[in-house]
Amino acid sequence: MEELPGSPTTYERIVYKNPSEHHYMKVCLEFQERGVRLSAAQFKQLIISALKDLFGEVGAALPLDILTYEEKTLSAVLRICSSGLVRLWSSLTLLGSYQGRKCAFRVIQVSPFLLALSGNSRELMLD
Amino acid sequence: MATLRRLQEVPRHLLVCEKSNFGHDKSRHQHLVETQYHNYKVSFLIPECGILSKKLKSLVMENAPFYFVKNLPLYELISSEFINTFVKKGACCALTYNTSIDEDNTVALLPNGKLILSLDKDTYEETGLQGRPSRYSGRKVMKFIVTIDLMDLSLNLDSKSYKRAWWSFKEKKPLKFDFLLAWYPTGADESTMMSYFSNYQIQEHQPKLSLNLLTDLQCPVLQSHLLRGEPEVACSAQELFDWLGAVFSHVNFHYFDEPKLAPWISLCVQGFADSPVSWRENEHDFLKGGEHLYNFVIFNNRDYWLQMAVGASDDCPP
Repeated sequence: MEELPGSPTTYERIVYKNPSEHHYMKVCLEFQERGVRLSAAQFKQLIISALKDLFGEVGAALPLDILTYEEKTLSAVLRICSSGLVRLWSSLTLLGSYQGRKCAFRVIQVSPFLLALSGNSRELMLD
Repeated sequence: MATLRRLQEVPRHLLVCEKSNFGHDKSRHQHLVETQYHNYKVSFLIPECGILSKKLKSLVMENAPFYFVKNLPLYELISSEFINTFVKKGACCALTYNTSIDEDNTVALLPNGKLILSLDKDTYEETGLQGRPSRYSGRKVMKFIVTIDLMDLSLNLDSKSYKRAWWSFKEKKPLKFDFLLAWYPTGADESTMMSYFSNYQIQEHQPKLSLNLLTDLQCPVLQSHLLRGEPEVACSAQELFDWLGAVFSHVNFHYFDEPKLAPWISLCVQGFADSPVSWRENEHDFLKGGEHLYNFVIFNNRDYWLQMAVGASDDCPP
């Protein structure tokens, strides 16, 4: 039956299984020494080189976007095609240095829903 | 080939989109809101709104407090006094603070009086209580879930089940946790959590409130009866959910070419990633993200959309 705009809508339910083509990761790069700075471009290049080290040219070609980047805290929200999540995550885990300086990626939050990344209950601090 | 397949594996996730009207007799909005316990964040998005109305401002700012108690022995939550003072006289909720559901022992109290314990194998065996293996534990069961119905238990304090639970928490395996607590009394009750737990380190907290004004935000056109959207006409519920993610994460995507009037508002509620349940008593686990959230889109004719999103370690939302 056709719905008339303005009249109350009828009930409908749709269940989408694995609808997200992308996964989103909130990450933070930590250096052993203080004061290290990276521009957004350098940050992205670091991640691509990590992918290349582990997975070669195929890894480096994965569609990756830096959606947000904060230079002060070296933290970012990354977007990766869902099929590339495992490869990206393992590359970040195994990255140990940048230009001879020891560093590590900390993965703060991961979700196929970007909306889920707008809050992190594990960051709740009361004491 | 198997390795390549594993490298490309995507954890299962679900997005349920529903539409209905608040006036429909069978609308489940109240039930779905009331059975998603332990929520961490609530966000409103109100398009075309420069200043909040007084009514809405006071609604948002007048929040009941929540409480933080340190080192609370678990037996306190099954004492008849606690059950009679709080559990039976309103909606009492609790969740262990700073416990990761995928690593630590976690306890939650639901407003219906059910106490849910998510315990590692050793702790579970040491408590001597009857439970069941976690659904998300993997091939080798390392996690167990114990459910204690406090309403049921309090009917007969001399029963074997009550004595066993009491003995377990007081003597056999005295467990203590830092708890987050909330209580919404049904009557005009004088009891307070602060005085009841005055022997422990209890603090009262107010939810943090923040207001942001987003200028030049181009909002999607939605038509309440078009849940799947229509090209060039209106966005789908799924597209809107993605767009909301970009807005709340402050990501600048160019979604739309022309600014449109948007006679709808959205209300998003995010659950605690480490709650042992999501919707009713469905078991919830963290896996890679622990997300369980829902979003209402409310239209001016009382039509609404409801999007519910969960990750791999969750049942399909009801």
